[in-house]
Amino acid sequence: ERVPPSFHQRATRMQECTVQYTASVEVFEQVNMATNTASEVEETMARIRSHKGVEGVVIMTKEGAIIQSSLSEDQSKQHAALISSLTEKASLLIQTLDPDDDLNFLRIRSKKKEIMVAPDNGFLMMVIQNPNAVE
Amino acid sequence: MASGNINVSDVEETLARIKSHKGVEGVVIMTKEGAIIQSSLSEEDSKEYAALISSLTEKASSLVDTLDADDELNFLRVRSKKKEIMVAPEGSFVLVVIQNPNATID
Repeated sequence: ERVPPSFHQRATRMQECTVQYTASVEVFEQVNMATNTASEVEETMARIRSHKGVEGVVIMTKEGAIIQSSLSEDQSKQHAALISSLTEKASLLIQTLDPDDDLNFLRIRSKKKEIMVAPDNGFLMMVIQNPNAVE
Repeated sequence: MASGNINVSDVEETLARIKSHKGVEGVVIMTKEGAIIQSSLSEEDSKEYAALISSLTEKASSLVDTLDADDELNFLRVRSKKKEIMVAPEGSFVLVVIQNPNATID
């Protein structure tokens, strides 16, 4: 007996569903990993914050969108805007001097505080500390 | 800094001391605007560094000032895979030291 054409359609459709299902499982696993990573991030932030002299920790995208912050909303926004802009400029400086090179770390020290910025993969981690508390 | 008591040979001694540290690749003294006073780098490199760094330092200075008008930039440290640039502004001058961060470990 000939296999009806609708059968082929259904077989193809089932195959598509399988592919989609497999893709969903992958996405689910990634979300799981991201959730685990999110709690790792929180642990790391808590650990940094517990250091003597640390006044604030902000994680942001390199464009300055805030992911997590221990500062107030206003302070976070202010810092994020200024720091992402400065970090971009520092990054550009390094690459202008040597296109193979990449910014690793930025440390801004003033009379009253020290701001440390670590870029990584499109994100920035910023830590503000009182340099005098750490001596 | 008791500027009345500092003479050129003190400055040169200090520069020589810095330069003799393992891993130091260059030392530049410039004005805030990027005009070179003294440099251990070639003229071309000096100009390139001076322009880029004076601009970045100005921005960092402005950042500190914006966050707290009473505050002042003391030091700036830019670290990359291959080098570390340390910037110390002092009045209308800026001292820049470029070092290879990997040479100074140990």
